[in-house]
Amino acid sequence: MIGRLRVGHLVEAGLWLTLCLFLYIYSFEFDKDIEIYKFGATAWPRTIILLMALAAIGQLIHHYVKGDEASSQMISAAVDDGAEEAAHEAHHESLNWYLSTFALLAIPFIYMRVPDWIAAMFSAGDSGLHLARIVCAAILVAIVIYFIRHHRVRVALMLPLFFAALLEDFGFYTLAPFFIIGVMYVFGERRAKPMALVMALIYGLLLMLFVKILFVGLPVGNIKPFYDIGSWVVTVLQ
Amino acid sequence: MDTWNNFLQGTITLFSDPIGILIFFGGVIGGMLFGAIPGVSMLTLAAILLPFTAHLSPEHGIMLFSVIYCTGVYGGAITAILFNIPGAPENAPTAFDGYPMTQNGQAGKAVGAAVMCSALGGVVSTIIMMIATAPIADWAISAFGPPEIFALVFFGLAVAASVGAKTFWKGWLSILIGLMVAVVGLDPVGGIERYDFEMPYLLAGIHFIPTILGFFAVSEIFVQAEKKVRGSYQAPKMSVDFPSLQELIAHKFAVVRSIVIGFFCGILPGIGATLAAFMGYNEAVRWSKTPEEFGKGKLEGVISSETANNAATGAAMIPLLALGLPGGALTAMMVGVFQMHDMEPGPLVFLNSADLVWVVFAAMFFANCSILLIGFLETKTIINLLRIPFQFLAPMILLLATVGAYAVRGLTIDVVVMFLAGVVGFFLRRSGYSVAGIVLGLILGKIGEQTFAQAMQMLHFEWSGFFNRPIALLLLVAGLLTLCGSIYGAFFKKASAPAPTGSDHPPEPPPPAGG
Repeated sequence: MIGRLRVGHLVEAGLWLTLCLFLYIYSFEFDKDIEIYKFGATAWPRTIILLMALAAIGQLIHHYVKGDEASSQMISAAVDDGAEEAAHEAHHESLNWYLSTFALLAIPFIYMRVPDWIAAMFSAGDSGLHLARIVCAAILVAIVIYFIRHHRVRVALMLPLFFAALLEDFGFYTLAPFFIIGVMYVFGERRAKPMALVMALIYGLLLMLFVKILFVGLPVGNIKPFYDIGSWVVTVLQ
Repeated sequence: MDTWNNFLQGTITLFSDPIGILIFFGGVIGGMLFGAIPGVSMLTLAAILLPFTAHLSPEHGIMLFSVIYCTGVYGGAITAILFNIPGAPENAPTAFDGYPMTQNGQAGKAVGAAVMCSALGGVVSTIIMMIATAPIADWAISAFGPPEIFALVFFGLAVAASVGAKTFWKGWLSILIGLMVAVVGLDPVGGIERYDFEMPYLLAGIHFIPTILGFFAVSEIFVQAEKKVRGSYQAPKMSVDFPSLQELIAHKFAVVRSIVIGFFCGILPGIGATLAAFMGYNEAVRWSKTPEEFGKGKLEGVISSETANNAATGAAMIPLLALGLPGGALTAMMVGVFQMHDMEPGPLVFLNSADLVWVVFAAMFFANCSILLIGFLETKTIINLLRIPFQFLAPMILLLATVGAYAVRGLTIDVVVMFLAGVVGFFLRRSGYSVAGIVLGLILGKIGEQTFAQAMQMLHFEWSGFFNRPIALLLLVAGLLTLCGSIYGAFFKKASAPAPTGSDHPPEPPPPAGG
């Protein structure tokens, strides 16, 4: 504790300054002259980075002097939307909570990368890659099911990202019903009958509105049989 | 007289065509509903409809989007008030007081004020737009070059930094994140790739629709998930209690001031309704004798924000139609509608397609009138949405947002970006940062950089050139004064009220079931 500083404040400032340093170093990748513009392509982003670093330091000084006190003359919104309050009430402010949450958030990115590495390792073709993706998805889904009961907020944060990561391969039409049930479960619904009814209602409404009426092309997936299921749903509706 | 005749002609053309009537009412109801349903917005609807306007006539296509714009801006206020989910960035300030009013059991009054003031602001703005389009367009063309627009963007960001975040520094950091996200992609002068990390997707920049959906809709779902875990989620109290005429008359100065602010913000390219709403709200706070009551459920906050953002809708059409410059996300999509019909918005539209212009003007006038009528009739239906348990609403919102993000470009990576923005928004919100500030920075960032580059080229890279342009100088000085005032306030003034939560709490035992 220095002044009113807490470890969290130092971590926050450290993250900002690290981000500034990274962005500044990366800006040399595109540090090229523009004939008609003497400031080049880097002047604008580097000014933003400089201001960001100054604001991060200003924020650190504010924390040192005033701790977590809100600034005067601020038109409140963030302080009143309940996000901070909910985080505190849920005891989700510890370093351990953050680390385990980020670990769980890695699941969608594992799916985006690992099957490709495995397929490349075994020099597999398309069918091998698809098999690797199905196996990887199954393992990750099992991990999510294991965590869903006791880590609801962490899973609530990860589940939509995981759904988005799977969308390209498995398609909207196959994944949406499971996603609807998963979100309801995360939000505390346990009754099977209402879950089934609401799932059918939401899925039916979305398909009617976007596929049947507006002809919006949603992802059908790349992997068989999920691609066939998606195509079949679209054919039936249209 | 010409204006009146043109308006009559536009009205007759609009209502003598059955398909036109169908599209008009479809736009009115669709804009309101998509604006009102949490997690989607008029931008989602517009993005979904954009490809289908190729099958409509240019009049119908542009008219549909202009009607969606008017009613969608209002519809977004409903979710801002009831769920703290602004339908669009221009509704963000509405949530500052609207949501606390809902929590205080005054949802009906807040929605009623939004209905009345949206309609009033929109109608007055449309009438002024019809009367003054040509002179105002001439004035804007002659008085507002790139230096003035850049100066206005700077002023707008300086004002926005003091809105929405916990501290002044977090306000600026929020805006700077948005500005940095806007840098990703090709630079506006030389076309050099910046921060693309060798990913082809990033070459086109990060699209604002998935980002807006993520920061506003998805992060809200995550916040509600956290509230649910500890049982602190509370469905807003319901009531239908529209403000009386006396209450609105008591705020007549706020209404007039917001109309003026909204109109002038709306007319300037790239600024539009978002800054109008923020400035309308900010000025209401500055002029108020009880500024400390703002943010806690003050009716004037809703009135100022909603009057200003709808007053900007009519004005935003002027730069689009007269100069070909979009004022925001939806008017940018309208440029797409023009292009799909091999047309370019700009002065030639007035010469070659005067019918189109007046049908659009007439449709906007009647769309704003419809807000008053349908807004009152629909409000109870919308409030009934509150009865739906959130565990049933959440998957619907997330899937609608998924379709909205995907429909923009048909890329699943946009859906990933949206949910990623949701996660980032969730962590930033719980740390006191402002997601509205991020989105404002994102939208104004590209315009700011482009106009800065144009201004410097115009002024031969001499900073002193700004001193010869009084409007630009005035705006820059105003921005700097706002900035200095905020820094002074951040260090030397004591906050009027302590933050509702602090992190200086003693350590508490972990919950029995972690979330």
